[in-house]
Amino acid sequence: MIFSVLGDWFSRSNKFERIWLLAKIEFKLRYYENKLGLFWALLKPLMDIVIYYTVFNIILNQQIPGFASFLFIGLILWNFFVESTTGTIQILNTKKYLYEYSNMNKLEIYIATLFSTTIGFFFNFMMFLLFYNFIEPASKGTGAHSLWIIPIFFNMFILSLGFSLILSNIYIIAKDINQVWQVLVQFLFFLSPIFYKLELFTKALPSMTYANPIAGIIINARMVMIDGTTPHLKLLAYDMAYAFAFLLFGLYLLNKLGSKAAEKL
Amino acid sequence: MEKVPAIEAKNISKTFHISEDSHNTVKHRLFNLFNPPRAKKVEAIKKMDFVVYKGECIGLLGRNGCGKSTLVRLLAGVYPTDTGHINIYGSTLLMNLGVGMSHQLTARENIYVSASVLGLKIKEIDNIFDKIVDFAELREFIDTKIKYFSSGMVARLGFSIAVNAGADIMFLDEIFAVGDMKFQEKAVKVFESSWIEGKTVILVSHSMDVIKKYCSRTAFMKNGSLVFFGETNEAIDMYVKDNHE
Repeated sequence: MIFSVLGDWFSRSNKFERIWLLAKIEFKLRYYENKLGLFWALLKPLMDIVIYYTVFNIILNQQIPGFASFLFIGLILWNFFVESTTGTIQILNTKKYLYEYSNMNKLEIYIATLFSTTIGFFFNFMMFLLFYNFIEPASKGTGAHSLWIIPIFFNMFILSLGFSLILSNIYIIAKDINQVWQVLVQFLFFLSPIFYKLELFTKALPSMTYANPIAGIIINARMVMIDGTTPHLKLLAYDMAYAFAFLLFGLYLLNKLGSKAAEKL
Repeated sequence: MEKVPAIEAKNISKTFHISEDSHNTVKHRLFNLFNPPRAKKVEAIKKMDFVVYKGECIGLLGRNGCGKSTLVRLLAGVYPTDTGHINIYGSTLLMNLGVGMSHQLTARENIYVSASVLGLKIKEIDNIFDKIVDFAELREFIDTKIKYFSSGMVARLGFSIAVNAGADIMFLDEIFAVGDMKFQEKAVKVFESSWIEGKTVILVSHSMDVIKKYCSRTAFMKNGSLVFFGETNEAIDMYVKDNHE
């Protein structure tokens, strides 16, 4: 019953086509407008990995086996979160042309933009799989357990969508949220186990594993992609709950503040 | 024939709070917690009710600043109302000097995005694509970003998309001021063809001839109030009288 209703809605509505069209155009604008094009999207995490590898494994000698892969999966997830949030703070301003002349649902604009960031993530993830399976000496290989990355990424997508909605709607009433968020992002970066050992992280900040949803997502992503185990289900449940709570708050703000975007911005 | 509503407005109103101080940053808000911004209230739309039926062409008259554009934005679902509610049955398109287009995109991309926003599927857009391009007379610039277009070219493209893609409910705000004379003639021809048949149109214009020719009912507004909504000739008389006061 539900499937037939949904199927009918998809075949009659052009919503999904529209979201995909907007996502493709956004992706093209982001990567094909500069000289290096898509190559830059792939180069960025590689350069980050080189920097962190040099500092944490060569200079500070952290002794994490397969440190490059450990960094790789953490960094591409982190970059997805930053691009989806910092990159969308002004979305209601830059995409005003989409809702200023029609009654288009604003949520579609957010989903399309996050889809375009997802395309970028997909390319990075493919690079990770190639690196992990063919170059990484400490690789255990990927298997069925790696499919857990799908719900884990879905978790990250919902969390990013929630934050994107919250920040961009606050932007309507407080234009300097951009600067505030940049500081908070820096703080979050160091409160997430991106480049240090998990034992070190959980020992120093035991509550952070559950208090910081990004930490939980990165920990679980490493478990399924590198350690070859199933994710920590309690942690996954916690992080899903966080993501949906932020999404609900974001939707509330979109309804409350975002509805006035056309007149305030 | 039974009349089917396209827009139902019940008890709607809109007031703008125009702030004299710029309390639009976190810093300002924190430092002025006990010093709220002084805001001036402007009652743009006073409480009103009405119904527009499917297939009607409605005129909207009133002097500058009487609230026509605000009302159109409320009815198109672009602005939220302060009181009451509006039921909109279908996609809407508000058109004044153009439709929503991004200057970062090419004409081709804008056609696809705008037509998709208006509810068309990609296949349907493929079918009308050439018609849109030829009507706008922009074939040789189709893959140029519209930021390099002149304002007339942008307006022509917007008009062409609106005419060929259309929405269920169209709000046309002084559209006959678009483009050069040749294009204006073309616009009038489109209007005189069967284009508006079956569509719900709300036409804002200062041209009495246009309103008289196309509108079955007309609304007359004054200082944010809906003074009259009915027979077009009567509304025009009221508007003319108001202009001579």
